[in-house]
Amino acid sequence: MFKNYLKTAFRNFSKNKVYSFINIAGLSMGLACAMLILLYTKDEVSYDRFLPGVNNIYRIVSKEVNPDGSIAMQSGNTGSFHGPAFASGVPEIVSFVRFQGDYVNIKKGTEVLGQEAHFVDSNFFSMMQFPLLHGDGKTALQQPDAVVLSETVARKFFGSADVVGKTLKLQRNGTFKPYTVTAVAKDCPQNSSIKFQMLTKMELRPDEISDRMNWFNFFLNTFVVLAPGADVKQVEKKMMRFYETDAKEMIKIVAEKYNFKAKSEYMLQPYTDIHLSKDYRADNGMVGASNPMYSYILSGIALFILLIACINFVNLTVARSLKRAKEIGVRKVVGSDRRQLIAQFLGESYIICFVAFVLGLGIAQLLLPFFNDLSNKALSLAYLFDLQLISGYAALFFVTGFLAGFYPALVLSGFNPVQTLYNRFRLAGKNYLQKSLVVLQFSLATLLIIATTVMYRQFHFLVSKDLGYNDKHVLTVPNISKNEIAVFRQELLKNPNVEQVAVRNNGFNGTLARVNGNKEIEFTMDWVDADYLPLYKIPVVQGRNFSRSFTSDTSSAVMVNEAFVKAAGWKEPVGQVVDFWYREKKYTVVGVVKDHHYAALSEVIKPQLLCNDENNFGLAVIRIKEGSAAAVLPYVEQVYKRLLPVQPYSYEFKDISNQRQYEAEAKWKKMLLFGAFLTIFISCIGLFGLSVLSAEKRLKEIGVRKVLGASVTTIVKALSKDFLQLVLVSLCIAIPVAWLLADKWLQNYPYRAALSWWLFAATGAGIVLLALLTVSYQAIRAALAKPVKSLRTE
Amino acid sequence: MLLELKNMFKWVTVGGNRIFLLKDINLQVQEGEFISIMGPSGSGKSTLLNVIGMLDGFDEGEYNFLHESVHKLKEKQRAQLYKQYIGFVFQQYHLIDELTVYENIETPLLYQDVKSSERKAMVADMLDRFNIVGKKDLFPSQLSGGQQQLVGIARALIAKPKLILADEPTGNLNSRQGEEIMELFTQLNKEGVTIIQVTHSEKNAAYAGRTIHLLDGRIEKHINN
Repeated sequence: MFKNYLKTAFRNFSKNKVYSFINIAGLSMGLACAMLILLYTKDEVSYDRFLPGVNNIYRIVSKEVNPDGSIAMQSGNTGSFHGPAFASGVPEIVSFVRFQGDYVNIKKGTEVLGQEAHFVDSNFFSMMQFPLLHGDGKTALQQPDAVVLSETVARKFFGSADVVGKTLKLQRNGTFKPYTVTAVAKDCPQNSSIKFQMLTKMELRPDEISDRMNWFNFFLNTFVVLAPGADVKQVEKKMMRFYETDAKEMIKIVAEKYNFKAKSEYMLQPYTDIHLSKDYRADNGMVGASNPMYSYILSGIALFILLIACINFVNLTVARSLKRAKEIGVRKVVGSDRRQLIAQFLGESYIICFVAFVLGLGIAQLLLPFFNDLSNKALSLAYLFDLQLISGYAALFFVTGFLAGFYPALVLSGFNPVQTLYNRFRLAGKNYLQKSLVVLQFSLATLLIIATTVMYRQFHFLVSKDLGYNDKHVLTVPNISKNEIAVFRQELLKNPNVEQVAVRNNGFNGTLARVNGNKEIEFTMDWVDADYLPLYKIPVVQGRNFSRSFTSDTSSAVMVNEAFVKAAGWKEPVGQVVDFWYREKKYTVVGVVKDHHYAALSEVIKPQLLCNDENNFGLAVIRIKEGSAAAVLPYVEQVYKRLLPVQPYSYEFKDISNQRQYEAEAKWKKMLLFGAFLTIFISCIGLFGLSVLSAEKRLKEIGVRKVLGASVTTIVKALSKDFLQLVLVSLCIAIPVAWLLADKWLQNYPYRAALSWWLFAATGAGIVLLALLTVSYQAIRAALAKPVKSLRTE
Repeated sequence: MLLELKNMFKWVTVGGNRIFLLKDINLQVQEGEFISIMGPSGSGKSTLLNVIGMLDGFDEGEYNFLHESVHKLKEKQRAQLYKQYIGFVFQQYHLIDELTVYENIETPLLYQDVKSSERKAMVADMLDRFNIVGKKDLFPSQLSGGQQQLVGIARALIAKPKLILADEPTGNLNSRQGEEIMELFTQLNKEGVTIIQVTHSEKNAAYAGRTIHLLDGRIEKHINN
């Protein structure tokens, strides 16, 4: 019996190649997407769970709650003080490990290489049991000059993994000291929030552990292990009680001195929650923090695609059922009951689904590098291949086969044999189901296409908007301080391709000060030299720029941006005083700069204060001639190496680093483009299939019309009209929804591309045109056919 | 007695009017009979055949088949009954296009869970008997009409039914092919199979033992040949 079904199925598939192709192509793409998403999700939820005893590891996190109950700050960071303090005051905390991310310079021969490193407590490997290749975890980090390497790093410096006992020169406090390799660890798995390359023992000054003021110092991660059976809620209460007693005086002092009214609360975050946490993210040396939003968006797109492919299957199978009606009638007459027919048709859908599934696996494998790039992961089918994944894929297969096959099987098996065998058979009703499914398909496709266009426009807007300064042909080089900048500039300017050299602080710094006597303003504070504003072509709108001829500029002058002036409410900004009362330091405003986007465009321009104090300089800014990068870069490096032989050299182009701020948008853009392309493609091949079937069904009608004198155009119109109507209905549904969603999404950006009607009109027109092309091909073919043929077969 | 129809009515309602397809049909069929049903187009010949074949229902009256009251049976039991005892032959042959001659003949056995080895033997017998062994791997589209109808009859016979219902079995065939089919029916009837056929041709009707003439859904007359 099974063989009989199989034969019928295969002969049917090969006889109807278009139909089989549409179904298999659509389903395999949908399945491939779903497989990738499943892999992604599995990776997400498996994060960090490979560590033995991980369920008993927690991270100390804190939040600051304002008197009105709102949350001022949430942070996964603690200081060096918190771990030992809580461990001594709360008996359920069995042990703690502090973990801090940093960057060290290592000398290899005459070369200096920068290397990511982590400082940890000596019991790190007792808590986090990462597997070691060589050495003993218990003793590896006992000595202050011990270093543990990952396999990759060991190979990088020594060329082999078995290097226990060898030494490396690490720069600490300015000088290079020899460190002994005590252990080599396997590279951390890809789904680990801790991916250390190099570990050394944390060195702390005595006051960092004794001074209670350090309750307010946050810069590392503290992990704790709780006693077996300890109740987390109870432990948290004890921690709070301990903190409030131990830090009582400090809390008072801080409140008075800084007018700090928020109340700190400490909590325990399960280690396995860190990866997907939005409030307490994996940072400060932990990596891979993920936004669950990505999972939702990706799953949504994959589901759309799979759904659209299933709809193709349902629609085409039902539409094609007329052709198989006779077979169904015959089978019923010779003794098949409905159950057996359902089994047969469901079986056929599973055969198609199986072929698509195998193809899908191949496609998924092919797409994996692209997908990894999109999702910021290094997934592979092999590495997550286990029973869970297999059962997940099996479930995917069965659900898809059922989704695609069940409804058609139900409809087909319900045919009345007398009607089918006596040519009295018509598909019942007006086919509302098929129509609504097509509408659903095209609505989804339209939605995704509009989302993609909006995304593209916004991205283009972000990267091409005038920032208020010129970031083209500007190079930044870190690790240049006030000591080197004068010589560095002098040397660089010798090269005719270097136009200007300036210097600023490295990174961003948010702080606050008082103006007008007692008004507090929060702002971004940057330290720049006199050449900085001219180099970036940022205009000074009032007063003057910093100048080397005013020697007092470095100690007492500041410039502010227009937003600062507005926030301070100044009519006459020049000459106003900015009071850093907590440092007992006052500055006078000498000039106002035009507002410019010093931060990403995802933020409005906030008050900014520029200071000329050279002690904070750290980043050289170099303007070069257009098109001279290739010639200048080696020169800059050479000058730098001569000046600073023991510092690692790196550089960045400002416009490129600016663009990198929109990496998330760039990824979303790609993802949506991909999704939109697939949905419209699968929808269109489905529509094509339906138009083929509809033309076949109406062959006789077309013949009669032609005999009666209808022109080819009128026939094409008649055949295309129905489908185009459906597409138009989809547009009417999708466009308002897309408009709302796009508008809501764009609200996230203070600076955004306008949503204009023509964007929607153009997308809509494009989709109609595409649909028209899809259906008219078949319609024209049918209309051009000789009527004699179609009429004679009846 | 093989089957009996008593006061049978069948109708459809169109625009509030009841249109009778079968009107007060009374018919008794003995095992081993050969009956022809004649009548003009639309007189209800095929409908009657389908009702007898249990492919179609009726609205009033009684139908007893081998002492079972068909009108009281559930859909499933009815299907079980015709599956076991009735074979159908159609004017358009109605073979499954995707299956070969061999597979078409085999299909009813599949639905009756006959074992594979037994199936082989039964199909081989049938091919032999109808002289179509050489055609067993061909598809219906590769056969002439007469050959297709032979396959249709072979398929109807394979499950050893007591009753063959044939709806204009020769309607699409030329006269020589038609004659062959009628000879075959006569032969089968001699072997004990009951046959009821619908036909337009007086000549073919004459092969049967008696002829029923239908007009506007009612039996107009019985004629014993």
